[in-house]
Amino acid sequence: MHAKLAEVVVGYSTEVKPGNVVRIEAYDGVAAPVMREVYAAALRAGGHPTANLVLEEADETLYKEGSDVQLEWISPDQRWNVEHGDVWVVFDAPTNTKRLSNVDPERIARRLKARRPLQSLYLERSARGEFRWLICGFPCEASAQDAGMSLRQFEQVLYRAAFLDEDDPVAAWKRFGDRLEEIGSLLETKRELRIVGEDTDLTLGVEGRSWIRAKGLRNFPDGEVFTGPVETSVEGTIRFSFPAMMRGRQAHDVRLRFEGGEVVEATARRGEGFLREMIGMDDGARRVGEFAFGLNDAISEYTGNLLLDEKIGGTVHLALGRSVPGTGGQNQSGLHWDIVCDLRDGGEVYADGELAYRNGAFLNGASGS
Amino acid sequence: MRDPRLEKLAELIAGYSLDLREGQVYRIDGEEVSTPLAVALYAAALRRGAHPYTRIVPAGLDEIELEAASDEQLTYIPEVERIATEELDAWTSLWGTVNTRALTRADTERRRLQLSTHYRMVNRRWERISAGELAWCGTLYPSQAHAQDAEMSLAEFEDFVHGACHTREGDDPIAHWQSMSQTLTARARELEGVRELRIVGPDTDLRVVVEGRRWLPSDGKDNMPDGEVFTSPVETGTNGEIYFAFPSVFQGQEVENVRLRFEDGRVVHAEASSGEEYLRSLLDTDQGASVLGEVAFGLNYEIDRFTRDILFDEKIGGTMHVALGGGFDEAGTENKSDLHWDLICDLREEGEVYADGQLVWKTGSFLAEPAVERV
Repeated sequence: MHAKLAEVVVGYSTEVKPGNVVRIEAYDGVAAPVMREVYAAALRAGGHPTANLVLEEADETLYKEGSDVQLEWISPDQRWNVEHGDVWVVFDAPTNTKRLSNVDPERIARRLKARRPLQSLYLERSARGEFRWLICGFPCEASAQDAGMSLRQFEQVLYRAAFLDEDDPVAAWKRFGDRLEEIGSLLETKRELRIVGEDTDLTLGVEGRSWIRAKGLRNFPDGEVFTGPVETSVEGTIRFSFPAMMRGRQAHDVRLRFEGGEVVEATARRGEGFLREMIGMDDGARRVGEFAFGLNDAISEYTGNLLLDEKIGGTVHLALGRSVPGTGGQNQSGLHWDIVCDLRDGGEVYADGELAYRNGAFLNGASGS
Repeated sequence: MRDPRLEKLAELIAGYSLDLREGQVYRIDGEEVSTPLAVALYAAALRRGAHPYTRIVPAGLDEIELEAASDEQLTYIPEVERIATEELDAWTSLWGTVNTRALTRADTERRRLQLSTHYRMVNRRWERISAGELAWCGTLYPSQAHAQDAEMSLAEFEDFVHGACHTREGDDPIAHWQSMSQTLTARARELEGVRELRIVGPDTDLRVVVEGRRWLPSDGKDNMPDGEVFTSPVETGTNGEIYFAFPSVFQGQEVENVRLRFEDGRVVHAEASSGEEYLRSLLDTDQGASVLGEVAFGLNYEIDRFTRDILFDEKIGGTMHVALGGGFDEAGTENKSDLHWDLICDLREEGEVYADGQLVWKTGSFLAEPAVERV
C-alpha cells in the first residue's frame, strides 16, 4: 500500500516534474516506509527529493525551553523550501498527538505568529501554481488511538478515505473531482449561505468569492469545497459538534457568536482558555478565513484526525484566521484553525433563502462520492 | 528512559567541541536511529542560545537513490545543502546507521559518482572549517549495527563509546579533553622538528618524510571521541612497505590484510587477502589516491579494540594509521583526491617508530611525555 500511496502522491497530487525540488517531511520516523517510497517515486519522475524527519522531542524542547528569539527563528531549510521549493509533502503521522498538550498556549501562538509571513508566502506561491504542497495522512498508532481503534482498523479507514482500496485510485479521484466541480459551480451562483442546526444559525456572505474544489492535491485524503467568506458578513451563532484541535490541544463543545464578521462571544465546555488565547492571537484570528462543505462519503465517522474529520461527507467546517489565497478571501492571521460541525442529523443550509442542503446532502442530487 | 550519558556527550560537543554561542546557526545531521542524540544536542544548543535545527533522514535513501536516480540526479546538490555549507556557524554529523553494510552490493561506479557529489560539499565544508568560519564535529550514536560490527552487545558498545568520549557517569569530560588537548598539542609541536619517520613492525618498514609539514592535534573538536596527532606527509617522500593487520573498511566494504609498497611517494604494489579488487578500484579513484594524504599516531587508550568503525579505530591507543588520498590543507598538503581512506597499522605488540633515526615509540607508546607548555 505504501508504494500505491506514493504513486498517487507523486503522480497525481503533486505531479512531480523533471527538475522539481521535492521536500518530504514527517514527524519522527513513523512514516519512514512511505517516505522512502515517495523518495523513489520522485526520483523516477525526474525530481530532486530530500527527506527530513522533524523530531517531536526537539520540537517540545523548543516550546518549553527556547527563548522568544529562538521560538520565532525560522531555519534556512524551511525558508528556502517555502521561497523556492517546488513540491512539499508532509506526512501526518506523529508518535504522540498530545505531546504539546502542556505547552503554554502563549508559546504556541507566538511561534505561529512568527511564521505568518512564511505561511502567507507559501499559500500565495501555491495559489500562483509555483508551489505544490501536500499534507498526507498515514496510519500510525497515535492517530488510531485518538480514533479509538486499532492501527489495522485505522489503516482501513484511512485507505478507504483515500480511495486506495480501488484498483485505480487516480481515476477514482478524477471522477470525484467532477462531482466537486458540480457543487462548486452551484455554490458560485450564490450570494449568501445560512447554516441551521442544533444551537446553530449562522449567515455568511460568499458573493464574488471562488469555491476551491479540494480533490486530493493539497490534502490527501481529501474531499471538500471551500471558500473565504466576505470578511464582515458573518452573523449569528454556531456550535461545533467536534472538538477544536491545534498542536495537540483541544477545546470541546465550542460555541461562537459573530457580529459584523467578528467573534464577539466564544465559549467552550473544556479548553476555553486555550480557545481565547488562539482567537486573541491577532486581529484576523477573530474572523472567518474559510467556510467549507465536507463531501467525502467514504469517511463517515469522527476519528479526531482533522485531515479526515473536516472531509466527512455531511459536515461543514469553518476556519478562524487566515484565508486561503485563490478563494478571494482577504483575511490575514497567524492562525488557521478548522473546526467541524456535523449536519447529518437534521442540519440545513439555505442558499439565498432557498433550502439547498439537508441532513448532510445537497438536494439537487449533487452529493459526495 | 533517557541515557544521562547522552546529555553529557551533547553538553561536551555543544560546549567544548563546537563552543556554540548565542545566535549561531547550528545544524544536526543524522539518520533516524540517531534521534536520541540529535534531541540531546538540540536541547544543549538551545541552552547556549544558538539556533539549532535538525536534518534527520530515514534510513535507506542512498540505496534508493543509487537504484532510481539518473546520473544527473546523482550529481545534483540541493540548494539547501549549498546554503548550509556556505552559511552555517556550526554543524554536527551523527554517523549512526541501522545497517553498516546496506550498500555493500551497490554498483561500484554509481556509488563512486554518488560519493563524489557528497565530497564536493564535504571539501567545501573543510575549507570553511580550516578558515575558522565553521565549527564542525562528527560523532557516532551507538546503534545495534555498529555494536554488531564491533562484536559487542549494544550495552557493551554504549559503555565503550562513552568510555572513549569520557562521558561516563562521574567523568568530567571537558576537563579531560582540555588536558588531552594540551598533551596532543605539545606532541604535535615536538613532531614538527622531525624530518623523517621510520615505522617498523610486523611486515612493515616504511619511511615517511614529514619535513616542513604541520602536525595537528585531534583533541575532540572535529571528532568525538578523538585522540590522535596527524599530518600530511611530503607527497614524494614515502618509501618501503606497510602491512595492515586490521581489516580496512571503506564505505561498508571490507578489505583484509592489506599490504602496500611505496616508491617515491606512490603505491607501486598493493595486495589483500580479500577485497583486492575493491582495493585496486579505490587506488584508481584518481591520481592522488595512491599517495598518502595522512600519517598519524592513535593516542586514545580508552579505545583498546578494533570496532570496524574508523571514528574509533584510527584513535586506538598504540596504533598508527595512514590515509590514501586527499591530505589536509592546514598540514601543508599538496595531494588532492576524492579518496581519503584510513588504514590502521597495529604497533602495540611489536612496533617501533624512529624519528630521524632515533627510537621514539615502542610497543604502542611514545617513550617520553611531551613537554606541556603551561599557559
